[in-house]
Amino acid sequence: MKIDFNLNSVAATEFGVGRDDSPEQTFRLVPVDDDVQVALREMAGATRTAMDTMTGDSPKYEPSERYESCEYVYLPLDDELAKQLRLLHEAKNIPVDTAALADSSEIFCYFARITDKQGRRLTALRRATQFKGVLKSRLIRLATDALRMIEDKVFKLDNDFDLLIDASNVHILRPSGFEFVGKLQDAVLAAAPANVKAIQHDLQFVDFSAVEQYVGKHPRAARYLASIRSQKAAKSIDKRALKEQCKATGVEIREEKGKIIVDEHQVMGFLEVLDRRRYEVELVKDSPERFRAVGRRKLQR
Amino acid sequence: MSDGRHREGLKAARLLMVLSSVSPLFILWAIRGNKLIPDGYFLAFCAVMVVVPNGFLWLRMRTARKLDERRELVVGSAEDHRDHLLVYLFAMLLPFYASDLGTWRDTAGVLAALGFIVFLFWHLNMHYMNLLFAIFGYRVFTISPATADTNPFSGKSILVLITRRVSLVPDEHVVAYRLSDTVYFEDDK
Repeated sequence: MKIDFNLNSVAATEFGVGRDDSPEQTFRLVPVDDDVQVALREMAGATRTAMDTMTGDSPKYEPSERYESCEYVYLPLDDELAKQLRLLHEAKNIPVDTAALADSSEIFCYFARITDKQGRRLTALRRATQFKGVLKSRLIRLATDALRMIEDKVFKLDNDFDLLIDASNVHILRPSGFEFVGKLQDAVLAAAPANVKAIQHDLQFVDFSAVEQYVGKHPRAARYLASIRSQKAAKSIDKRALKEQCKATGVEIREEKGKIIVDEHQVMGFLEVLDRRRYEVELVKDSPERFRAVGRRKLQR
Repeated sequence: MSDGRHREGLKAARLLMVLSSVSPLFILWAIRGNKLIPDGYFLAFCAVMVVVPNGFLWLRMRTARKLDERRELVVGSAEDHRDHLLVYLFAMLLPFYASDLGTWRDTAGVLAALGFIVFLFWHLNMHYMNLLFAIFGYRVFTISPATADTNPFSGKSILVLITRRVSLVPDEHVVAYRLSDTVYFEDDK
């Protein structure tokens, strides 16, 4: 997927950090010199190169999917799950705070805001593990012919970013970094009631009251719901086919007054069926096997 | 003009920029002279008060250019503050020039009053008030955040932009050099 930004024609490069200032997260810019700006642009370039070298079309991010540590996926910037990052990308005149690095234990991420000469903006962001971790370790350097302790505070930039944001999409290289910084767990839990309502609208013949109660306390179930909604996976589901699939994959449901009722202990299985994660194969005659897919990708043909 | 709880950086730089903004007063005093202090000392003092702060201002602008300390500013609403220069001229420059420095007590009183003004300019981030900018054809705009912007991460501070532009429109994006956390300078080079 093409990133709508020209890294070779940059008008301004800004650096900032995200801080866990209770009760909310805050983002602050920290002035940096031209060498750091060059390093940040190189990191953004390395991230884009890493994305480009990954084969095939990048799939859309799904909250229910389990990803590799490095896997290029994307999420439209207007998606509700990208809310936190959209707010950061679109924030205007983020305050400058030269003391933002004073208490590094509060820093959860660092980012670069790069503006090209056509006025387009690229936000590049990295979860602050090394940035934080290096401060706790002891650093030494070669001074003359002997190693010496580095007394100053040292912040180590990484080789690349976890994600890049352009005008339309969040390009994710490390899904776990995106989930952490984008506060995905909070987002899916907050969106769960609305997702239940939307899926209920598509599946009028299912009673979702048990699902609604269950997802409020179970983040993974809330992720399944978000995925089912975003993929529009519940649209046009046939009631009979759904019942047969539940039966075939061992999900116990019952029917009362024309509505499918799901018991609380069967909610995860039911959501897995809706999210196309529970399936049966029968390669050995009369020996059907049931599986649950931790990761799955739709085949185009 | 500060944003939330964090403190404004570049304190010494801002103080020198304030001193730069009051430097025309020292030119006027140098021309007028003083009965109490021999000309040699008085002129040297005035020269230092003119050269050092303005030299620093030049150095700060040069450093910002050298380190490429640019950032993108987005205009919510902008006001041209040429009138601030008039206020500065009538409220500070002329009264101080007209004040009598004939006795040591008068001189001490004037210097104390000048100290208060410098502190206020420094504290209120009014270090952008400088005749030099006007002489070189720059205008001073204050940029306020858009009232409709509900983004919690957007800055809520009022920023100052020194630029040769004659107007700024809402939602205009400007890339400018940082002189301090709240004062920015758009170079047309």
